[in-house]
Amino acid sequence: MKYLPIAAMAARPGSNFPIWVLVTVLVVSVTVPAIANPPEESLEHRLDRVESNLERLIGLLADALGGTLGEDVKGELQSLAAELKTIRRQVSRVEEPAPEAEAFPEEEAMVVAEVVAAPDTPDASTGLFGGSMPMSGYMEMHVNHDGLNPTTLDFHRFVLNLGHMFGDRVRFWSELELEHGLIEGGAPTGELELEQAYLDFLIDPRFNFRAGILLTPVGIINERHEPTAFHGVERPFVDEVILPTTWFAGGGGFVGDLGGGLSYKTYVMSSMDGSLFSAEEGFREGRQKSFLENARNLAWVGRVDYGPLPGLNLGTSYWTGETGFHLRDLDARLRIFEFDGRYRFNRFEARGQFAMTHLDQAFEVNASIRRTAGINPNIARGMRGFYLEGSSSLVPSGSSHDLVGFYRYENFDTQFRMPQGFFPLSQFDRSAHILGLSYFPHPDVVLKVDYNIMRNASRVVRPRNRWNLGIGWWF
Amino acid sequence: MKIRMIPLGLVLLLIGLEAGRAPAVPITKKTGTEKVQKVRVSAERFHFIPSRIRVKRGTLLEIELSSQDTFHGFRIPKANIDVTIPARGQGKIKIRFRSRKAGRYPFECSRPCGAGHTMMRGNIIVE
Repeated sequence: MKYLPIAAMAARPGSNFPIWVLVTVLVVSVTVPAIANPPEESLEHRLDRVESNLERLIGLLADALGGTLGEDVKGELQSLAAELKTIRRQVSRVEEPAPEAEAFPEEEAMVVAEVVAAPDTPDASTGLFGGSMPMSGYMEMHVNHDGLNPTTLDFHRFVLNLGHMFGDRVRFWSELELEHGLIEGGAPTGELELEQAYLDFLIDPRFNFRAGILLTPVGIINERHEPTAFHGVERPFVDEVILPTTWFAGGGGFVGDLGGGLSYKTYVMSSMDGSLFSAEEGFREGRQKSFLENARNLAWVGRVDYGPLPGLNLGTSYWTGETGFHLRDLDARLRIFEFDGRYRFNRFEARGQFAMTHLDQAFEVNASIRRTAGINPNIARGMRGFYLEGSSSLVPSGSSHDLVGFYRYENFDTQFRMPQGFFPLSQFDRSAHILGLSYFPHPDVVLKVDYNIMRNASRVVRPRNRWNLGIGWWF
Repeated sequence: MKIRMIPLGLVLLLIGLEAGRAPAVPITKKTGTEKVQKVRVSAERFHFIPSRIRVKRGTLLEIELSSQDTFHGFRIPKANIDVTIPARGQGKIKIRFRSRKAGRYPFECSRPCGAGHTMMRGNIIVE
């Protein structure tokens, strides 16, 4: 508004000031301040003021130019006035008071959502919606020393996750893993494994269908095996010899969240190959790993999780399947029962797991393998293992990094119950004390060190203690 | 055997003592003139606690999001919102949500977090 007299003076008769510049200056002088007014004044009022200013401007211009306006100036002003009317109509629609639900059918417009507080991190930003999920994965490298064998440095796992959303109802997820860094034809090297590749069909929160290559939902580690998700360089022994992580197979089933912290999974999957069981490693070598899996005998697995409070989770699993498809005239049903719990509060965390197994026809399985392989595998009728772990953060809360100390006691026996006529090998009745530290310079990056005190029930075969170093990250 | 379990027992005892001092988690509050329903949602591989939030139509819902482990996402497709929940120890994030129409508003983790990521979901139920 303060520019109006100046503009009018500049437009005096005889002035050689270009008339279009004058009009632009005047229009800007009345519109910009109006639109830039504080938000408490409504746009409707501001437009009123712009319109009245425009009328005054026309009068001032007419006075300044001796009562006559050129046709070009008149046309320009009329088009501005028309444009203002258009803007007014649009603003009127925008400024309608929030209507009631029944008068406002557009669902999106009924929802207000905004971020009101966020930490000052680059990750706390809004994202975009799209069909592709960003690539993620994890890696871990270990140094292992047991005082007997040469110290090894092993890039143990290089894992990439890929996913995709086929709309809101169908999701794809996969995990491709290279173990031990090298694959070479014919040599005993690493492994390239497709550990997960499945589709989720989202039907209802309580009932959804999943099919593909699936992780067997048993125990804590099998579905949460990222290096930042557990303490210790290597996974717990119980999760290697009693529950053979990473345990995956082809299959399908249902997944649901029943509310109140209760969720379930139930799958039909390919079973294990009983002809590959052993005394030391239990069922570990029996995994078919989705390679031309024998589907004559299918397994069933179910898991229930209960997480009533943040940080607390209790879970139990049951797996059963016939494993004798490579053993003549044998069903050899294997049953695995497991329960586990995790609780985290402030700087403390505790977790524990118990698992036991039972193999039907264990005597016949041993006899069958002995006939074909010429050796007695001494496979147990029952195996049992458990561990308890406590950990605590050792740095003040609020630090950008974390140092966690932990202790885990494990007890695992792959010869817990033997079939009649077979005797347990006491070196496989084992226990371990694991003490260690996990340093997190970032929540998804960890440096680990631990010392394992190994024990067994044998008076002849003595286990070696070991120490491990490791780095791991998830992204 | 019993002596070996002493360190673990001490750790568990400390956890128990700490848990005993835990303050109750407020679920709803009224602030100012407008009724605001406040909810704390905890994210952890691979679920939200709680995974169902009920709110009256038109009530402003304030959700405080925190993680028990890694970074997670929190996406409400119908509300066109997608934020990252900071990892454990890295802070919290709050969002506000209001709907004047009854219905179910699904939310889900939008940042890949592992094997169960695709099913890490929940619902805001507007009644």
